[in-house]
Amino acid sequence: MLNIFKRLWQVNWAEQWQYRANLAMYILYWLVSPIIYLSVWTSIATVNGDVKGLTANDFITYYMILLIVDQLTSNIIIHIFGYKVQDGSLSGELIKPIHPMLTNTLVNDIAFKTLNMMLLIPIWIGLALLFKPQFDSVSLSGIALAIPAIMLGYAINFLLSGIITSLAFWTTRVFSIHEFYYALIMLFAGQFVPLKLMPEVIQNIARVLPFQLFMYLPIQMIQGNLSAQEITQGYVTGILWLIAALIGFQIVWRKGVKQYSAVGA
Amino acid sequence: MTSETILVEQLSKTYQVPEREGGFVAAVKGFFKRKYKDVKAVQEVNFKIEQGEIVGFLGPNGAGKTTTLKMLSGLLHPTEGKAVVLGFTPWELKPDYLRSMTLVMGQRNRLSWDIPAADSYLLAQAIYRLSDDDYKKTYKELDELLELEPLMKKPVRNLSLGERMKVEIAAGLLHRPKVLFLDEPTIGLDISGQVKIREFLREYNKRTGATILLTSHYMADVTALCERIIIIHHGQLKYDGGIANLSRRIAPFKLIGVRLAQSEAEGLEESNGRDLSQYGEPVQNEEDAEKVYIRVKSEDVTKVTSRMLSDLPIHDITIADPPIEDVIERAFNE
Repeated sequence: MLNIFKRLWQVNWAEQWQYRANLAMYILYWLVSPIIYLSVWTSIATVNGDVKGLTANDFITYYMILLIVDQLTSNIIIHIFGYKVQDGSLSGELIKPIHPMLTNTLVNDIAFKTLNMMLLIPIWIGLALLFKPQFDSVSLSGIALAIPAIMLGYAINFLLSGIITSLAFWTTRVFSIHEFYYALIMLFAGQFVPLKLMPEVIQNIARVLPFQLFMYLPIQMIQGNLSAQEITQGYVTGILWLIAALIGFQIVWRKGVKQYSAVGA
Repeated sequence: MTSETILVEQLSKTYQVPEREGGFVAAVKGFFKRKYKDVKAVQEVNFKIEQGEIVGFLGPNGAGKTTTLKMLSGLLHPTEGKAVVLGFTPWELKPDYLRSMTLVMGQRNRLSWDIPAADSYLLAQAIYRLSDDDYKKTYKELDELLELEPLMKKPVRNLSLGERMKVEIAAGLLHRPKVLFLDEPTIGLDISGQVKIREFLREYNKRTGATILLTSHYMADVTALCERIIIIHHGQLKYDGGIANLSRRIAPFKLIGVRLAQSEAEGLEESNGRDLSQYGEPVQNEEDAEKVYIRVKSEDVTKVTSRMLSDLPIHDITIADPPIEDVIERAFNE
């Protein structure tokens, strides 16, 4: 199995590397919205002194960390996989004795992520020089605490995206469904605004949803803003979601493959 | 358990195809209530194939050949009926089954477009869990037969159609499958490319004892490779048996071609326009415009020929079996 992933990595890395110019464009596009939020909130906080106790530096560090965490927990499997279902090229993969989504697509996504990080790092350093964040509250233990949370967030996000992408077996509108999923992430993961500034109702909803693991919780862990109870709560919620997403994915996948093979691969 | 490698019983596949008229109103109606039309792609097909056979699977476009191959390889669930291949039910997609068969369809299937085939081959080695020794041995054999080595280092997108077909077929065989489903393995290839693939398949079958079921539009593929053919038309089995028997059963005819000696005044047109229908049914033959062809029942050939020789100023005469295309065409229309 390890050998399969090694070879998959070589193939997918070589493939992604061919498209590095496209990726650079994608990264620039993707950077726009967090940088806008960063600028807006920072200027408000600068004018007011703070926003509900968050200073300009809090916003800068929040969004600077978000740039990295978002990149690590997000995925592009709708783009890798959705088309394969629609144009039938999935057929070639289905008759290979490995799971197309949990092997090839997963590795392709990780290769994409790795290349993205390579492009992001110089940009990130440039932004840091521009906005001059003070990472005083960031500690190594905070980062260590956040790493499993980021992995958990990636796994849940991957499986939920996988469920939505698998809807491509039934409908050609899967891309718009996925857009809605993105909107939920934007709202409940703390991209528009750190969740702390959201109305109490939204915060309560966000606490039982998995999305805050995609950005907000790991960022807060890195910044050292969470109590032990909040951390435990976040992890427990995450693990429950991971189990649910795994089961949900298995069910949808199996039914989807059957559907695919029923209507004509 | 059955002893056959492939067993197909009452296999049927009906597609539901959404159907609507053109225009806006119909589009709106279709949004709320879709109409479906049942398309019976395969209807109650039965056959058995023994280990080591090479069987040609023939039929016009839309006859249900590809649908059947897809069901046998596990990509499609049948609507009814059963199929057992190597003891497996294909559409359960059991890894052990997938490791012992291959399906080759078109030239863009197993290989990644952007990278050299060599990388995709190494991936296949890992996926099919082939030991280095086994992999090298199989690769060497395939390379011997198909001359793969010069093609391995180029990205697949830069290969020509024929080259791509070769690396695709070889990619599908690295794991030494016991059963091969080949959909148009020579499509788009020039004559020498077709011959190479054909020779390769025959050799592979001889060396490994693999069972091969192939579809092709090139009758030469079929006549060169298959002793047995299965014909389907409109999803139904029309014929299952030897190629030789097919001509005898369906078209017990011979083709007589004559070129008449011409007087100087008489042009070719006129001589060819001569009415030969009293001897047999005239047949068009575009490849050989010099001759006039008639179709005659096999048992009458001697009689008709001698009559023609005595009646007509014959310059040249040939007697041949009708081309297999025509025979099969007749089988479809039966």
